[in-house]
Amino acid sequence: MEVEVTVRCTVNGAARELEVNPSAPLLNTLREDLYLTGTKVGCEEGECGACTVLIDGQPVDSCIYPTGAVEGREVRTVEGLSGPDAPLGLLQQAFLDNGAVQCGFCTPGLLMTLTALLEVDPQPAPDVIRRALDGNICRCTGYQQVIEAVVAAAGSAR
Amino acid sequence: MQFVQVRSRAEALAALAEWGDDAQVLAGGTDIMLQCRRGQVAPGRLLHIEPLDELRRVEPAQPGARTSIGSLATHRQLSTHDSLRTCQPALAAASGMVGGWQTQSVGTLGGNIANASPAADCVAPLLVAEAQVTLASHDGERHMDLRDFMVGRRQTALQPHELITAIDMEPLPAGVGESYVKVGRRGAMDVAIVGIAARIGIDEGTVSLARVAMCSMGPVPLRVPGAEAALLESTLQAEDLDAAAEALVAAADPIDDARASARYRIRIVRGLLERAVDQCRMAS
Repeated sequence: MEVEVTVRCTVNGAARELEVNPSAPLLNTLREDLYLTGTKVGCEEGECGACTVLIDGQPVDSCIYPTGAVEGREVRTVEGLSGPDAPLGLLQQAFLDNGAVQCGFCTPGLLMTLTALLEVDPQPAPDVIRRALDGNICRCTGYQQVIEAVVAAAGSAR
Repeated sequence: MQFVQVRSRAEALAALAEWGDDAQVLAGGTDIMLQCRRGQVAPGRLLHIEPLDELRRVEPAQPGARTSIGSLATHRQLSTHDSLRTCQPALAAASGMVGGWQTQSVGTLGGNIANASPAADCVAPLLVAEAQVTLASHDGERHMDLRDFMVGRRQTALQPHELITAIDMEPLPAGVGESYVKVGRRGAMDVAIVGIAARIGIDEGTVSLARVAMCSMGPVPLRVPGAEAALLESTLQAEDLDAAAEALVAAADPIDDARASARYRIRIVRGLLERAVDQCRMAS
């Protein structure tokens, strides 16, 4: 029998007390308990990166990360990139402007990985961006527009 | 399946002493969570040790001393660690090739060893550095050579009440080059089709130190003394590499799987060995 416990964490800046099965993947908790459905269910095997969220600033595949492990930690999802004052973050707008969104399924995961990258390297070179995206699969764009979007966002943030 | 989080090493060892086989140690979960999802493991308890910061330290070698790494050091931590990249370059490189950033954020060195995958990237570099593992239990600690610890495919000498707490490595001698190279379907990030680690020292054109280990070429990653003998005291001519590659193939027992055929794995060994040796040569 799965026992529910209380997991305390921060999700997109708000303190949360989650009554959950701590062994359940964080992905399920985010989508089914918090209704944060921007984080996508892809391969569910930690291969495709569609479910990427940031935990204490590091990108993690939430499909294979247990909810109990975020106790006391800070989780950020794609919903946290925008706010009431700015419907789209800088990087999100750059994705739209540069044709980096096609079917859109990989987009939340890409945005989260790239948000983590820009926080440690505000002006990343194209090969650094490519390396950072090793764990995110996009089958539409061929990645080039994504890389152009990051370069554009980094430039306008300067 | 009960999820139990521990906050200290002592707490972890006490839990393992009490529960033994019924508890599965869980760090970043990149292997265990997947195996749970696939029904390959079904432990009564998941013992989550990730919060144990005391097992996360990285102590790069002081001159003449061994490098010591806590078992919970993440691949990201190792691949971006400036002094580790200088003093243990093959391990730092291999850590940067274990999956994508998401896997490296939470995947740990101890986990890579404990999971005992035939394709474990970090194990080949550890073998060329004569790594030892420290195994702790409520009774105390024991140390074991990594090559003896790896018993078979997904099998190690770890006892149910033990925890891998640290890994230590021989320092890279001055003037010796080191590398880890792999072939994978999605470049560096995918599970290795073949991986080779090498430590090569060259003295006035002649090889004075030769260590070679490979992964994904049999049930466990292994050192290949025949290949090392073929390179030692050679001048790294094409025929020396041919002989070393032949020894690697002779020591191998590769499988056909979804990633590659055994024939393909054997086919690429010679080229990959040359790449590994060239990188050592450039670095030495």
